[in-house]
Amino acid sequence: MEFAAPEIAGQAIPGQFVMIGLGLPGEPGLFLPRPMSIAQAEGERLGLLIRIFGAGSRRLTALEVGERALLLGPLGSFFDLGSATRVLCVAGGVGLAPFLFLPRWAERHAPGNRVHLVYGERTASAVFDPGRIHELAGVEPEIWTEDGAMGRMGRVTDRLDVARVDLVLGCGPVPMLKTLQAQIAGTGVPAQFSVEERMGCGVGTCVGCVVAVEDGGRGWRYERICVEGPVFSAERLRWSI
Amino acid sequence: MVDLGQTVLGVEFQNPILLASGCCGYGEEYAGLIALDELGGLVTKAVTREPRIGNPPPRVSETPAGMINAIGLANVGLERFRREKLPWLRENLRRAYVLVNVAGWTVEDFVHVVRGLDDAEGFLAYELDASCPNVERGAEFATDEALLGQLVRSVRAATQRPIVVKLSPQVPDIGRFAEICETEGADGVSTINTFPGLLIDVERRRPIIGNVTGGISGPAIRPMGVYATWCAARRVRIPVIGIGGISGAADALEYMLAGAPLVQIGTALFVDPEVVCQTLEGLRAYGERHGVHRLADLVGALEA
Repeated sequence: MEFAAPEIAGQAIPGQFVMIGLGLPGEPGLFLPRPMSIAQAEGERLGLLIRIFGAGSRRLTALEVGERALLLGPLGSFFDLGSATRVLCVAGGVGLAPFLFLPRWAERHAPGNRVHLVYGERTASAVFDPGRIHELAGVEPEIWTEDGAMGRMGRVTDRLDVARVDLVLGCGPVPMLKTLQAQIAGTGVPAQFSVEERMGCGVGTCVGCVVAVEDGGRGWRYERICVEGPVFSAERLRWSI
Repeated sequence: MVDLGQTVLGVEFQNPILLASGCCGYGEEYAGLIALDELGGLVTKAVTREPRIGNPPPRVSETPAGMINAIGLANVGLERFRREKLPWLRENLRRAYVLVNVAGWTVEDFVHVVRGLDDAEGFLAYELDASCPNVERGAEFATDEALLGQLVRSVRAATQRPIVVKLSPQVPDIGRFAEICETEGADGVSTINTFPGLLIDVERRRPIIGNVTGGISGPAIRPMGVYATWCAARRVRIPVIGIGGISGAADALEYMLAGAPLVQIGTALFVDPEVVCQTLEGLRAYGERHGVHRLADLVGALEA
């Protein structure tokens, strides 16, 4: 879905998110705003990839042209490409969102990158149109489906080769990210994951969205996904304790 | 011009709108989005004796017309609050007043935090969180008459600053608890804290919240909050601060008519931080529409 949101679109960096809702008084099923990763930012237009999970996302996707939503952003941390030139993006499900934005953004802001996008879904019917992915992201996705009805059969993590990449970026369900984290551990390839959680405020006040991360040498601590995240260095993530 | 000011706790609040504890962090987090110094004031996130990491996630979720939360009093603790958070509040809030929310598990915990902060600058008063539903025994103080009396008495002996006691809705007669606070020397009560609730994911047959149960806030609880405020305000002379589901001027006015000179906005901030400005504008517009020059005249003006 696209929204006219020039201020957000003008500042957005891949990995960041917005809080989107209908404002007050809210509607049944959509009172709190929802965090959504920024999937496109072109000129005044902000693109979000919204998958229907419950009443809130159903209401958001039912918004019609001319209707208004309340957007707050861009929020949170972002993917840091650093000096990487060969970037592997691993997307599970709606975790595709930031990688629809990242390749073209990287072209503009850090030219010389080669981005390879691996994208998996449970079923072929859930796959976001590959032609559209190419159009938006400018890269040809390598698609995996668990039912094998489109692309390669299995999971994105089944045949992952990180030997010739400088940086791995991941966004998707926690089990996928955990597998990815285990595969990358020890290879010396740095990785950054965008993680999600139910949020209240989106700006750090309510401390509602936390994830356990390594705390230097002192064990672990909770950090707020909305402020310290949503993008974390993969090796720091301890998930829940 | 409509005068929104309220003289409460010995000072003149420029308007009746405060931000509720737990919903505005330590102020700083909302500084870019809300003109904090235009407010009547704010109530900080709870401060405990030691830092707390809080409950396992998920900690929040949507509920019908509101939200459930079980943060578990995650906070930086007394020492860091005093060293890192209070100076910011002192520098940046010149007209808006700061109430420091204090939480604990024993009377001694509360007294320790109050003594540890009392000579610091940058705040007006304490709000004692006698009613957090999201930690073990959290609401014990506000549901046990003898314990509540002991808490207020002990904190009263430890400070000259105003004390406001945040009460639980989980009692049969909240007016009685407000009376105890008044008798033991509290300067105000705030009504209400969240209602305990449970949200279940039926597909997984598991609770949605990591802590299993949480506190329900938002518009869903507003009529209960207004009721509790009305019950308490009729029984005590100390001010009652109204909390629960306020999303605009009309909601704030309900609490004021029920007897609250000050109100707190919480959950609605998450939905739209501009709720603060809109509420203030709405209060002025109401005053003009009804020929009310001093908003304070509306406090307790319910005709029932």
